[in-house]
Amino acid sequence: VSGVLGKILRRTKSSLALIRYFLTPDRFFMVPLVVVLLLAGALFAAGTGLSHVAPFVYTLF
Amino acid sequence: LAAVLGISGLYHDAAAALVVDGRVLAAIHEERLDRVKHSSALPVRAARACLELGALDAGALDAIVFYEEPFPKFERLLSWLIKTFPRAPSYFARSIRAELARKLWLLDELAETFGVPREKVRAVEHHRSHAASAFFVSPFEEAAVLTVDGVGERTTTAIWHGQGTRLSPRFSLEFPHSLGLFYAALTAYAGFEVLEGELKLMALAAYGSPKYTSELSRVLRLGADGDFSLEPRYFDAFTDSELGFGPELVRLLGAPRAPDTPWNLAGNPDDRRYADVARSAQLLTEEALLALARRAKREVGGDALCLAGGVALNAAANARLAAESGFSRIFVQPAAGDAGGALGAALLGALELGDPRPPALVSPALGQPLDAGRGADLAARCGFAASQQARPYERAAEILARGGLVALASGRGEWGPRALGHRSLLAPAHDARLRDALNRRVKNREIFRPFAPSALHQNSDRLFDHVGADMTPFMTTVCRARDAALPELSGVVHVDGTSRLHSVTPERAPALAQILAEYERRTGYRALLNTSLNGAREPIAGSETDAIAFFASHRAVDALLLDDVLVERRPS
Repeated sequence: VSGVLGKILRRTKSSLALIRYFLTPDRFFMVPLVVVLLLAGALFAAGTGLSHVAPFVYTLF
Repeated sequence: LAAVLGISGLYHDAAAALVVDGRVLAAIHEERLDRVKHSSALPVRAARACLELGALDAGALDAIVFYEEPFPKFERLLSWLIKTFPRAPSYFARSIRAELARKLWLLDELAETFGVPREKVRAVEHHRSHAASAFFVSPFEEAAVLTVDGVGERTTTAIWHGQGTRLSPRFSLEFPHSLGLFYAALTAYAGFEVLEGELKLMALAAYGSPKYTSELSRVLRLGADGDFSLEPRYFDAFTDSELGFGPELVRLLGAPRAPDTPWNLAGNPDDRRYADVARSAQLLTEEALLALARRAKREVGGDALCLAGGVALNAAANARLAAESGFSRIFVQPAAGDAGGALGAALLGALELGDPRPPALVSPALGQPLDAGRGADLAARCGFAASQQARPYERAAEILARGGLVALASGRGEWGPRALGHRSLLAPAHDARLRDALNRRVKNREIFRPFAPSALHQNSDRLFDHVGADMTPFMTTVCRARDAALPELSGVVHVDGTSRLHSVTPERAPALAQILAEYERRTGYRALLNTSLNGAREPIAGSETDAIAFFASHRAVDALLLDDVLVERRPS
């Protein structure tokens, strides 16, 4: 479990670093797109990795 | 002093390199281990092989450095997709999926894979990796550095000033204006596989005339002082596929060539047209590179130039740069393409940690070693006669002297895409019929592609003009054969009178040097045909197992020399 939690923590940190990277005046307009893509990616990852979550993900779309 | 692992991968030509205490200990292509040509994997096998060669655990690494920065690359993808919306649906889906699923989290994945703290894993800029891979192993204390490829994060072309342990940027061009993408699109147009067929286009160019220069000047517009731009409407690459040409280019040049169809340059006017297109593309590429090199000379000065990036593997262009750019010395390290980024990344990491610059690269033998004893056992089990030889090179030269083919696997494998006497297939160079037989029975290349010669360094100047000492050891340039030497080079001179010469010294390729000397003593001939130890569409052999598999599947090859073990077929 600690491995999985560690992985989630590292990905969360990297996601925040990615959003920080885009929080500059010349890149700011892309932040909404980045956030939407990250959320979609997280749902995709959850749907792929945990099959019992998949029906809820399908319902969302 | 530090131990740093450099990694390039997840696109093409994945590789790993290990620098310890300021010395390059190992540099290995993933394709030599996973047996997938131009492997696009994360090079975990190559990295582990490097660590084994350095007798290190991953835990002892001070840093792992990836050759490209994921976030700026993601930004370039997003901004281009917004710019081309909605014309790039499949490119959008494919590239965003790849980014979200893996590439954005690559540094985390590297930390997890090798069990090192995340803080020890970092990324450096793609073109800086290229520049470092050339300059920091060059023989120069100060040099101009020119990096040219398809695209990194955003940069496609850059000029650097290398001084000691520093690289300072001087000029750059950004996507989509890219010589690499231009050449890739024309490679695809001529029916070759992109990232594999660029050298085929270069070879084909020698058969053509530059009749399409005017048309292609609308595609690649050369500006002043090294500047150039691409006209995006000719490129599918920017909308619906990663690398390729679009319908506008077909309207401009005519129908593209169907892949994998036989070539007939003598009898088929269409094939001659593709050769003319290739010649025109090559000429424009050379002109663009010359203008960039002249700008580098103005910006940086000095007599030395280092080249890196995939376009630096264009040996014909490098020869023109050597002749016309104004630089008296040019260095191109053998893995100039993306694989070389692993070496550059490792060197940048090591320098940042305070290590000294490594000595100039002498030998390309940075790859995996052989186990000749294990090879002998395996060969015997396969039904071959395998015997340890007291004078293995004499026996190999004897077979070559009577017109045979000898596979040579010696010591550690080569760094870079060229066979440089460590994983080579050798044949007499004086007989064009033998060359054709070799091609028909072993290599199965397009008939217009030349084979390269190897010659001892002390003989190279007698066989070829303008040999130089910086590029010919790594086969990164071409030289014109001397008229007097043509009879002994019939099988290795291209239709334009040049050869991609490999000049050999005992320090760089000890086994091949001895075979060349013995072959000359027996025959008077000073060169051998040297091609890579692989069949069609295979990566170069890595291990003794790969070499024996090659020997077993190519009956035209008379013998295999595995270090001092000679493997021959039993009389049937």
